[in-house]
Amino acid sequence: MNTKSMVTILGVTYGFIGILPLFIGDSSILMRILTMILIWSVVASCWDLIMGYAGIFSFGQVAFYVIGAYSSAILSVSLGVSPILSIFLAGIITAAIGVIIGLPCLKLAGPYIALVTFAFQLALEPFLKGPLGKAIGSGGSRGIISVPPIHFFGMNFSSSELVPFFYFAFVLTLICSAVIVVILKSHWGTAFLALKDSEDFAASLGVSAFKYKLLVFGITSFITGLFGAIYVHYVGILSTRMLSMEVFTVLLIMIVVGGIGQYPGVVLGAVFTVTANELLRPMGIYRLLIMGGLVVVVVLLLPDGVTGLIKKISDLRLRKKERHPVEMRGSGEMKESGETQGSTL
Amino acid sequence: MFIEIIEVIISGLLNGSVYALMAIGLALVYGVTKAFNFAYGSFYTMGGYFAWTLLVSLGVKGGYYTVFLTAIPFLFVVGFFLEKVLISPLRKRSDWQMKAMMLTLGLSLFLDIGYIATFGPRLKSLPDIVEGTIDIGPFAFMNQDIVIFILSITGLLCFAWVLNNTRVGMAVQAVAQNPIGAQIVGIPKDRVFAATFAISTIMVGIGGILLSQKNFVNPQASTGIMIKAWVITAFGGMGSIKGSLYAALIIGMLEAFVGYYLGMIHIEVAVLTLLLITLAFRPQGLMGRE
Repeated sequence: MNTKSMVTILGVTYGFIGILPLFIGDSSILMRILTMILIWSVVASCWDLIMGYAGIFSFGQVAFYVIGAYSSAILSVSLGVSPILSIFLAGIITAAIGVIIGLPCLKLAGPYIALVTFAFQLALEPFLKGPLGKAIGSGGSRGIISVPPIHFFGMNFSSSELVPFFYFAFVLTLICSAVIVVILKSHWGTAFLALKDSEDFAASLGVSAFKYKLLVFGITSFITGLFGAIYVHYVGILSTRMLSMEVFTVLLIMIVVGGIGQYPGVVLGAVFTVTANELLRPMGIYRLLIMGGLVVVVVLLLPDGVTGLIKKISDLRLRKKERHPVEMRGSGEMKESGETQGSTL
Repeated sequence: MFIEIIEVIISGLLNGSVYALMAIGLALVYGVTKAFNFAYGSFYTMGGYFAWTLLVSLGVKGGYYTVFLTAIPFLFVVGFFLEKVLISPLRKRSDWQMKAMMLTLGLSLFLDIGYIATFGPRLKSLPDIVEGTIDIGPFAFMNQDIVIFILSITGLLCFAWVLNNTRVGMAVQAVAQNPIGAQIVGIPKDRVFAATFAISTIMVGIGGILLSQKNFVNPQASTGIMIKAWVITAFGGMGSIKGSLYAALIIGMLEAFVGYYLGMIHIEVAVLTLLLITLAFRPQGLMGRE
């Protein structure tokens, strides 16, 4: 996807989300949904960056999110660090852990990485509940209650004041999305794609797998940890329930619906998934049944997600347009310029 | 003290033998089809619920004989059709491995929640396969343990025999070595993929029937079992059946000792640490080829 349509889709989606609070600011349920859409869209975008673009089967995204949340909560509750500082420290801690997890993954082939990162998530829960976790202040199986809200410029940003928090998250979301777009369109993004398509060939061109793989682990876990941290200051309580398969699957649906490696698609996936998840909530246990079935059906029927569908439709329209003579001239020029390029080479 | 250690070793040996059965099924399906099956653990639970439905809910005649005689065809059909309907349409795409992972992850959640919706969230207990104990000197062996051990080893031997001596087994090996070459000499590749998936489903399902007698049928056990089977395959070396067997016994022992001396909560951390250390120093596993 080219930069222009990427920025357009992102701008329209976030612009629409951004003006919604002006109309629905009074409804706390809708505001909560909107805020969660922002948080999840960035976390899912990071997953898309590492899995869809860099081709690393990292299944530790939820674990990084929870590490970010716990680091910030522990820093602000046990050590009394100001939340606005602890959020960034949490991002840095998560990035460091992400790089440490990334190191053994450099040597491993695809599915092994999925195994290691997924097992890392599974081992995190007993660690946080056990004596080691209690020693660093995770609160054991009780979790951490009364995490202080973010406070600066004389304003509180928490779940009691939804609209200010929404705009706080909104600004961070815009910054992080811009960072992701810049990364994807810079030579870093090209290097990620090259490593994904053929690691040996990329290495022969001087692309360092070591550097770029650690880089992608570091960046995605930093942003994920950051959003985990703002989430914990938003809701105010934290327990290991965040590590459940449910959260993992919801995140998976976002990326599956949006399309893997089709960047802004995952943002649309997040909008769809968070809304659907809330709408299905009255159905109890059948909600998860539907969510699981949805993953299977979407992967089978729409392998590139919504983005793939949109592309297919626009391809059909292009083909129809090609029958018009005016459009034919356009494609003829393209061909000519292609030929001249070929001769100069 | 000495007796306790012997008991821990026996428990490790028992778990290890069933783990071997399940891990080798997983090594097979990954080695041949290259599909990373996240729903593998859900078939373990499926085996448990199948036995529970027949034995407790319906109360069929013949006990475990009927269960095994019906479970093998049932699991084969389930595995075969799931591969045909869900995995094989994905194979046309270049990034199908990632798609297959995501699909099986969704399938796993679907099945696990489906079990809870159908059978309720409570654990179900299966009747013992045989009653009583045997006393040898100061040790008391449960007959059930001995039968489970013998059955899982028999399952492994049957599998090795099928793989090495039948036409199906040789076709499976040929596809694992070179899918295109196998197709050229007239081996129906797609059917072999489906059959392999089905055989691995049988192996893990039987493992579920055997181990659920001791650990209850638990709708939330699937992920743990899947990870355990993966850790064993990775630890033993992908594609090495002998490696998987040793790795399964080592991990069974490790679990038994860690669980006995440090507490059950540390098992997962210990297993993961072992995996990370192995992969850091020997990425191809204990007996895997370079």
